[in-house]
Amino acid sequence: MPENTKGRELVIALEGRIDSGNSAEVEERIFRELSDKDIAGVVLDAEKLSYISSAGLRVILRVRKNYPDMKVVNVCPEVYDILDMTGFTEMMTVERAYRVVNIEGCEEIGRGANGTIYRIDKDNVVKVYNNADALEDIRHEREVAKLALILGIPTAISYDVVKVGESYGSVFELLNASSFSKILATEPEKMDWCVKEYVEMLKKIQSTLVPKGKLPDIKDEALKWARFMKDHIPEDAAEKLLSLVEAVPHDDHMVHGDYHTKNLMLQGDEVLLIDMDTLAIGHPIFELAAMFNAFTGFSEYDHNVIKEFQGFDFETGRSFWLRSLAAYLGTDNEKTVLEVEDKARVVGYARIIRRSMRHGGLETEKGRAEIEFWKERLIEVLGRVDSLVFERNELDVEAEDANIPAVLAFLDRRLEEAGCPMKLQMQIDLAVEEIFVNIAHYAYAPGKGRVKVNCDVFDDPRYVQIRFTDSGIPYDPLEHEDPDVTLSAEERQIGGLGIYLVKQAMDDVQYEYKDGQNILTLKKFF
Amino acid sequence: MLNIIKKEEEGKLLFELEGRLDTITAPDLEKDLMSSLEGISGLLLDFEKLEYISSAGLRVLLSAHKATAGKTEMKIVHVNDIIMEIFETTGFSDILDIE
Repeated sequence: MPENTKGRELVIALEGRIDSGNSAEVEERIFRELSDKDIAGVVLDAEKLSYISSAGLRVILRVRKNYPDMKVVNVCPEVYDILDMTGFTEMMTVERAYRVVNIEGCEEIGRGANGTIYRIDKDNVVKVYNNADALEDIRHEREVAKLALILGIPTAISYDVVKVGESYGSVFELLNASSFSKILATEPEKMDWCVKEYVEMLKKIQSTLVPKGKLPDIKDEALKWARFMKDHIPEDAAEKLLSLVEAVPHDDHMVHGDYHTKNLMLQGDEVLLIDMDTLAIGHPIFELAAMFNAFTGFSEYDHNVIKEFQGFDFETGRSFWLRSLAAYLGTDNEKTVLEVEDKARVVGYARIIRRSMRHGGLETEKGRAEIEFWKERLIEVLGRVDSLVFERNELDVEAEDANIPAVLAFLDRRLEEAGCPMKLQMQIDLAVEEIFVNIAHYAYAPGKGRVKVNCDVFDDPRYVQIRFTDSGIPYDPLEHEDPDVTLSAEERQIGGLGIYLVKQAMDDVQYEYKDGQNILTLKKFF
Repeated sequence: MLNIIKKEEEGKLLFELEGRLDTITAPDLEKDLMSSLEGISGLLLDFEKLEYISSAGLRVLLSAHKATAGKTEMKIVHVNDIIMEIFETTGFSDILDIE
């Protein structure tokens, strides 16, 4: 039982087995060591300890009585199980011995803000943390991943902590998974599918309500980015930036914080979200800002950056981002997409400029040029953006009469924004109510289902397009014969007027059945 | 939202409607209206404060018209332009007595 002093902390090594056969002897030796010196703390190094019985545990308890802050380190899994089962891990600090993993030659499959993910064998991956003292980060990430899983987000949770060189890593089971970045890079024909899945997961994250106090608020971070710019851009621009971020409303829904295609994995036919350490709550604009950076911002000055990071080229990233943004917003209108992108750019540039400056960006010529480039763009886009808030052009609701007011409120907001005349708004309301009621009553009868309502306003010529999508029974309302409006009251049937009113009130009505969905599109020119 | 103010004068019934007559509110009016028709000598619907009508509202008007036909005079007054256009589009302006 050799021992050595480390500062004022005494490290005592435990070896082999400690049981009733030798516990008295071990205890005597420990206390002899302890009585010899002026000791502030005790560390029991269990690296070579293979077994400990209750007699041995009692020895540890007696040490702890004199040194309440003592700890046990380098504990192998078998001994850890014993300490865990007997409640010792809760009574005192017990640190595991970490398995050593070698990542030389392993494929890099993901990279996030604070670590890189490698595949170590067919079924397992390891995330190696950049920060050498990463145990706290690992604990944090495990906590938030568990929380996300409980809240319904499909993710992977690490089951082991390992040593990788001088760094720590956490090990996940990830069978035959490949990242969406890899799919985009090697199977470009799957772009549409990737966009659809990526957007679906984004909506899922954003519809997840997080219990109070469980996650940090990303707006607090964003305020730091905005305040940082005070010394780096003209005063009026800096003030505007800060007031824009301050005005973003509080939101208790989830934000991933680093939602790009390396953090979305396909495992079998299941899509998993990984790299959860930046998980937070907040307004979706902050998520979009990080997405803009990943697909455009970081590589806007030097287009090679994205190739290195994501494996696909700048144009692919740009196209994926814009298509995802359009699908997410539920719009066909490029102008709307670019307007929301501008809002994301405001936050995005502020974030990368600060990040670059804090990571030595000013020390290289390229870094300085890049920062100038981003600054110029930030100032330019600030001139155009008056609010960071946006609304998706899509409402996804249960098809039932009770939701009519919500649908009309959603449309009226958009129409008012677009400066639609009151009378037109009434006509549109009428058409929308008639269509919505039709879907609510017949599409899923006698069951229930959902309907998506998209609203887009186009220019030149100015018109509004409203689209209803449901997955109910195929039904083309336009096939319905128009009622004879010249009949007398006695001859009139009660009902059958709805669709007729829609056709009269709208300038264009189109129906199509596609991918198992009824799609009805209304157009009205201003 | 629809506010229904009901008044009775010398056997004549007056309904003042305020707000929207749509899928949500039409059933309320229908219930109120259809249960009040017994024994009245006239029915007046005042649309001065009615902003909007959908086909669900039109159906109530048609039901009331059918129920009163030949027995009671039914009249709609103070109709705004938007609602008038809907009456015209659907031919209701030819059926109903509208002022």
